[in-house]
Amino acid sequence: MLALVRSACVALYPRTDALPGIEDTDLDAFLVRFRRESSFLLWLGVVAGAFVFAITPLITTGIPLPAFLLSKRLRDRHANRIASHPIYLLRQAVMLVKLAAGLCWGGHPKVRAAFALPPYPDEPSRWRTSFDEPSPSSGDATRDASPAKTPPVGDTA
Amino acid sequence: MRSHIAFRTEPVELEADYVVVGSGAGGATAAVTLARAGASVALVEAGAWRDPAHYPASAYGAMRDLLEDWGSQVTRGRALWPIVQARTMGGTTVVNSAIAVRTPGDIFRQWERERGVGGDAMADAIGRHQDAIERELSVEEVPRGSLGRSNLLALAGDAAADYQGHVMKRYVASCAGTGQCLQGCRKGRKQSTNVTYVPELLRLGGDVLSCAPVHRVAFESRRARGVVGRFVHPETRAKGGRFEVRARRAVVVAASVTHSPALLERSGLKSPALGSLFRAHPGTGVFGCYDEPVDMNVGVTQGWATTKFRESPGLKLETLAIPPELVASRIAGGGTALMERLARYRHVAMWCHAVRAESCGTVHNGLGDRPVVRYQLDDADMRRFRDGMRLVAELHFAAGARSVIPGIHGMPFELGPDQVHLLREAPLDPRRYVAILSHLFGGCPMGKDPRESVCDGDGRVHGVEGLVVADASVIPTNLGVNPQHTIMALARHFATRLVQ
Repeated sequence: MLALVRSACVALYPRTDALPGIEDTDLDAFLVRFRRESSFLLWLGVVAGAFVFAITPLITTGIPLPAFLLSKRLRDRHANRIASHPIYLLRQAVMLVKLAAGLCWGGHPKVRAAFALPPYPDEPSRWRTSFDEPSPSSGDATRDASPAKTPPVGDTA
Repeated sequence: MRSHIAFRTEPVELEADYVVVGSGAGGATAAVTLARAGASVALVEAGAWRDPAHYPASAYGAMRDLLEDWGSQVTRGRALWPIVQARTMGGTTVVNSAIAVRTPGDIFRQWERERGVGGDAMADAIGRHQDAIERELSVEEVPRGSLGRSNLLALAGDAAADYQGHVMKRYVASCAGTGQCLQGCRKGRKQSTNVTYVPELLRLGGDVLSCAPVHRVAFESRRARGVVGRFVHPETRAKGGRFEVRARRAVVVAASVTHSPALLERSGLKSPALGSLFRAHPGTGVFGCYDEPVDMNVGVTQGWATTKFRESPGLKLETLAIPPELVASRIAGGGTALMERLARYRHVAMWCHAVRAESCGTVHNGLGDRPVVRYQLDDADMRRFRDGMRLVAELHFAAGARSVIPGIHGMPFELGPDQVHLLREAPLDPRRYVAILSHLFGGCPMGKDPRESVCDGDGRVHGVEGLVVADASVIPTNLGVNPQHTIMALARHFATRLVQ
């Protein structure tokens, strides 16, 4: 499944002279992480979208081969045509792959650098547990300078 | 007592005067209002509690950590349009742009005329509550230095085209202009309820449960007695221990427009109006392409808006910045054609519209406690939708754009100034558009008549005791402006009436 999704991602976001392609953005590690962290239904949707991408070259290029067996030129043509296909559900299925792949591609430091944006910091999923004391020092908050006041209820009604 | 209870594997039982379900604009405001009156309050939130230091920076992280089901909830209708809602302590106040717009006066007159609630008395009360909320949550205009080039271009276009727009007022103390509103403000400047009202509730002795989705409201005879559910681990989604929170006086439901009606439905509430009058602000963005770099992600995410078109044709126009990873899927095409389009990212500004749509849908409980939303726009709303895109395109050209990218399937990818008229005849099929639903309303609409409404003008559910709804689901019409200010003021109003 990973290979199927990877193949569709690479076709949708190929390397060009101006920009890194998705294969330059740690795609394999991203897909493993995405499969682990996303919900089952979302991952299933992405796999289904990749499957649609793989089996539809006949209707976009007239070639009865799966997308991953097409030449680079034909695969590129297929990627553009299936992502803009008149049949809504085909377009939407591929859109899901495009969305997931876009999260990998657009969030990568190489791509952000190409757009003069700083890299994102590491972001492990963290949250407040039962044992954490409420911390007023989250971020460099200014909320202590403008805290919620506590007028008696009914004061304004 | 003062406690925060996050994911637990063992059972938890609590009791309080009031149990509030949901910690977003409605729930947190209601909870803190009740606590300020001296009541004991337990706040129950389905998502995890993340502080600004915990917020992700990327869109990937935001979808994983802050949004409901990775933002994958969509409407069922002709088109599958995403519904953006948060699932985190603070609810959608964490991931929105914190835009504060007062409830338009005509809304109260409309509610009085059509629903038998509202009127001048409610308008006065809501106005006073909004005064107080603006003081408490540091509502201020976006500082000029934080606007960024996209918003400055919109101001210039507005001046040229006379759109009568303005720099937004937001619940943000000294905006740093990091362009990260949609991922949560890591600088902590946004006054979302997880950094304001919920901590205050704890200070006032309240109890807060996080990672605790409520499965149902428990009733004894015709009186709401509490809520029950099971903890869910925010990372693994594993089920934890059962929790039961009993309410001595009342249960306040503020779980969102999609979850509140679904929760009441699976709790056995019988009302012919439950799940009805679902409305929204469907919207989409139009990219303007400029000769000079715009760098829309530098500066505040949203800084300019106009309500000039609110009454006719029924639109709100705003600026909006989204990061490259979201632009990548928003731009049409694939392969090298897509990459060539994306190469211009620095030169595009995305401005959007929100349609004051009159089409109504329904919300009902689905499998696995997931709400099911059936909704689609009628032709009149689709005409508004495309009118809005044309107005945004014309604003771009007034600001000096060389071309615009409307993103309508079947139309040219890019339009020049002499092609804007094509948008007047754009197709009315919603499947041709990439849109999202923001600003949801209804599902538990308020009104005088129990046959047509779920709750009365104080949010009290018809026909049962001790059950109040205090979120946007009570709003029976489309406001045509950003709803957070209205939701907060209504919740404060309902809570005040509850303890009086």
